[in-house]
Amino acid sequence: MLVLKRDQWLDLARKLDWEPSYVDEKQLFPEPASGKPWLPAAAWREWDEPYRTSYTEYVTNQQAKEAAVHTLRDAVGQPDDRKALDPCWLNAVKLHAATLPLAEFAAVVGNLRAARFGRDSAWRTTAALGALDELRHAQIPLLLMHGWVESDPQFDWTHKFFHTDQWVAIAARHFIDELLLASDPIELAIGTNFVFESGFTNLQFVGLASMAHRAGDRMFEKLLQSIQTDEARHAQIGRAVLEVVVRHDRSHAQYLIDKWFWRSWLFFAVVTGFAMDYLTPLAARTASFKEFVQEWILDQFQRALDDVGLERPWYWDQFLRALDTYHHMLCASAYTYRATVWFDSVLPGPAERAWLAAKYPESWPQFEPIWERISGRWREAGPGVEWHAHGLTPVGFCNLCQLVLCGGTPEHNTARTLVHAGRKYIFCSEPCAFIFKSEPQRYAAHRDVVARILAGQAPANLLELVTAYFGLDRQTWGKDVHGGRYAWLHPADHPEAAEPRS
Amino acid sequence: MLVPIYGFLAGDTLGLLVLVHDHETVRELAERLQQAAAPRVAARPQVHVYFEGRQLALDLTVGRAGLTALDRIEVRPVESADGR
Repeated sequence: MLVLKRDQWLDLARKLDWEPSYVDEKQLFPEPASGKPWLPAAAWREWDEPYRTSYTEYVTNQQAKEAAVHTLRDAVGQPDDRKALDPCWLNAVKLHAATLPLAEFAAVVGNLRAARFGRDSAWRTTAALGALDELRHAQIPLLLMHGWVESDPQFDWTHKFFHTDQWVAIAARHFIDELLLASDPIELAIGTNFVFESGFTNLQFVGLASMAHRAGDRMFEKLLQSIQTDEARHAQIGRAVLEVVVRHDRSHAQYLIDKWFWRSWLFFAVVTGFAMDYLTPLAARTASFKEFVQEWILDQFQRALDDVGLERPWYWDQFLRALDTYHHMLCASAYTYRATVWFDSVLPGPAERAWLAAKYPESWPQFEPIWERISGRWREAGPGVEWHAHGLTPVGFCNLCQLVLCGGTPEHNTARTLVHAGRKYIFCSEPCAFIFKSEPQRYAAHRDVVARILAGQAPANLLELVTAYFGLDRQTWGKDVHGGRYAWLHPADHPEAAEPRS
Repeated sequence: MLVPIYGFLAGDTLGLLVLVHDHETVRELAERLQQAAAPRVAARPQVHVYFEGRQLALDLTVGRAGLTALDRIEVRPVESADGR
């Protein structure tokens, strides 16, 4: 029997485009659904991506990966295994667990839209497999974290987070809904596959996975690695789409890069920046957040932009400065508003601060007095008195990214205001203002937390805001992970801890 | 009338929403911001207040200073403001 080689038959299954006869091409692939720029089919005819996976290969590979995850869960993913892990590290897991799984579920929707309205059948095939990937990425953490909810209700936020009006959830929905639920397939491919997945997810799925390994969390390490191998495959959609768009509408391609790079950067500064530089125990840190960004973004992503003939985003210098400051601004702010989030925070001690000073020599001197001040508040109040080192006044939120106004440095916050159609807006940074001004019709009607408070939709009192609006309670709202009981903080009780550990 | 103002204290890490009556002074607004930021930044006795690049007189009322809802002000300790 004559058996065709794989390359001889594969495109018979992948390249199935035809010339429509009952409707015209624009009716089959209308621009609002298929994306801008609208190009005739001929422009997409050469579309291809390097993985060229068949459905049989996909199912076989995924079955093996699923089996490996389940085996590891049985071996080391039980509630008792969690007790052996560092409590700070577990909060890095909670941060990931809440912010990613249901975002991945939104990516199922985006990929299914591309599986119907993508302009080339090989693209549609890869997007269909991508949708299956993303479904898996939503389900695995939900399954793995579920067993931990009974002993730690903060893990319930793995599923609950995106269904609340907690402030990080509002910010995450604002970002994820636009990127994954509302984008057309072209914007999805460039924003998600090229920028978010090729550019940024390696921070979490490679960088944080290496820290999970050193923290002894084999289950989380395996979860991240298993997801990463899927991401690496379907992320290839991005470059293949981008190359076509650059040829026909370079300025639109550049705008999408500029927009989604900034928005992705802010998201990962929260999710990965907190986890790597604050919540990972010192002994488990393999590199700083900045060092991982330098390796994966500054080197690899810039090369990818060069390859397709695009420029770095116009705000690149601001991004480089933010790399030294933004997540530190956020962390100090979030620590002193820790009851507004669903995970516990840690007060960096002398050893952690010495490590941060060595990793961020330019910027850390600006943050040292802030952490010293917070430490002093704990010393005044004593262990267990959370509220003395906690803010009580409502904070401001950026009207684009919906995150707290933490741009710039402690000396020069970059927040700026704008009046648009008679309404005042505030933005944490120039790039956020730029994105808003580029598409005001997309963003102007959204109400941030402050607007909801002023409209009477949310309470102004912080405790009521946390409980009645954010959906947290005494059990789940974030606390200091050690309740302020640090040997270095109270040296009179622990003279051996008075000197910084090196 | 209560006026919500975005306040940025030099040395702090985020912007805060401070509620102040329009008949209260700019000095009282600055004090309120410093109290709100106290977990992160120690209050300073002498500060300058800036709005749209202008330094505001501390004895002016919020209303007379021209501040309206959701304006952005900066509060800087005198020594920091002198070096800005």
